[in-house]
Amino acid sequence: MLETKNINFYYGNFHALKNISMKMEINTVTAFIGPSGCGKSTFLRLFNRMNDLIDDTHLTGECLIDEQNIYHKSVQVDELRKKVGMVFQKPNPFPKSIFENVAYGLRVNDIRNKSFIAQRVEESLKAAALWDEVKDKLKKSAFELSGGQQQRLCIARALAISPSILLMDEPASALDPISTSKIEELIYSLKKDYTIVIVTHNMQQAARVSDKTGFFMLGELIEFNDTKKMFLNPDKEQTQNYITGRFG
Amino acid sequence: MDKKTKQKIAFIIFRTLSLCVVGILVWILGFIIYNGIEVIGWEFLTTAPSEGMTAGGIFPAIVGTLCLVVGSIVIAFPVGIMSGIYISEYAKNGWIVKFIRVMTNNLGSIPSIVFGLFGMALFVNMFGFGDSIIAGSFTLGLLILPLIIRTTEEALKAVPDAYRVGSLALGASKLQTVTRVVLPTAFPNIVTGMILSIGRVSGETAPILFTVAAYFLPKLPSSIFDQVMALPYHLYVIATSGTDIEASRPIAYGTALTLVAIVFLMNLLATTLRHYFGKKVKSH
Repeated sequence: MLETKNINFYYGNFHALKNISMKMEINTVTAFIGPSGCGKSTFLRLFNRMNDLIDDTHLTGECLIDEQNIYHKSVQVDELRKKVGMVFQKPNPFPKSIFENVAYGLRVNDIRNKSFIAQRVEESLKAAALWDEVKDKLKKSAFELSGGQQQRLCIARALAISPSILLMDEPASALDPISTSKIEELIYSLKKDYTIVIVTHNMQQAARVSDKTGFFMLGELIEFNDTKKMFLNPDKEQTQNYITGRFG
Repeated sequence: MDKKTKQKIAFIIFRTLSLCVVGILVWILGFIIYNGIEVIGWEFLTTAPSEGMTAGGIFPAIVGTLCLVVGSIVIAFPVGIMSGIYISEYAKNGWIVKFIRVMTNNLGSIPSIVFGLFGMALFVNMFGFGDSIIAGSFTLGLLILPLIIRTTEEALKAVPDAYRVGSLALGASKLQTVTRVVLPTAFPNIVTGMILSIGRVSGETAPILFTVAAYFLPKLPSSIFDQVMALPYHLYVIATSGTDIEASRPIAYGTALTLVAIVFLMNLLATTLRHYFGKKVKSH
């Protein structure tokens, strides 16, 4: 379970996230929507501490995974990132072979058993619905794949180290419609094994793939509700306005 | 005059000037080849100078220059690459980085004769290496260090941040990210630093003048503490202070041609390597 309590986040003096408290259940898909710059990606990156990489940032409040505050001093960031995988907006495979891309997370975590690695690579590629397309060219460069395939490769790469949570930062925004629908199907099938949090600009996408939706605006979580309710009958007027396209 | 004509004239001038540059290079090469080719032969390349350097070959100078190239690269490369990694990947963009960068640039603009003098004071005298390959290699290594640091830094900067972020998000440490993703990606460009520094090292005369180069030494070095002859210094010697300058003129051109050919061959090798690694790293 993911939970935040009174999260405030600052880039220098800029107050990017304002007092956000929410809960996400395991094996659900949660979508964050909202206009550009509303803080939804910043909020997503809290959960694997990718914001740590940015200089001059500041956080208050608690961010809990399975009841443990992941910003506590005793937490090892690389251990956390093994549990919380991430897929980025633009497919970012490494300049390595398809096989090595998926094996990378295992290798950096000191797993050397070759047959185990090969097995995990196959399982992960299958889970990411890419295996049939690449099984005969695992040694080929990842750059030979199409954009959509690259993104599924990045998903496989994240799955290989067996995370329990998967963060997706606009995973389909750089892809064509067919690749996008493949990613969406994939998200749906991954739900039974992973807790997924996805940031998206595409409201139809949020409606299609998620169980719950959070609407962000200007650093505030305006509404967090069941996706169905959110899109049919939201509680807040601002949500209604955004969803019907009156602004943003 | 209308815009189009002006543009035409401007580009004609630009093109002429850039062709001039090519022309000058061709002229220099042609001049050296024309004057030097007749003495080049198996014997010239494989024997020591004889008869007051008016006859014989330049074999010891070739060996000496190769020793210095290898020596200075062995010394400067690890230091330069690691400094480049530190500046580009680890150091926060504060005053330390600025300071290191400014100092590196300053080091790069010190005249090479000053390096020679410094090398003599430090390596030859203080460390007691004497005139030797190791003293010369250290001196040349210092000379090319800024070049290597800068090219490493640039090469690392050209690696997309998406690779670093992607690696860190998989639980890799910063060091793993650098050694397994960033460095291999940057490697072809780092090789460029090697290409440039090889050319620089084989051609420099001033830094080796007081640290390693021998006026005449027909026997080959047996250890890194021996002196050697080197091509650029040999060229200088037979062109200015040989026993019979007129008689050794063809040898001087032959030496120049050999020097240029060695630099050219090494560049070719490095370009091939770069291409090879580049292919392995990139797809298209």
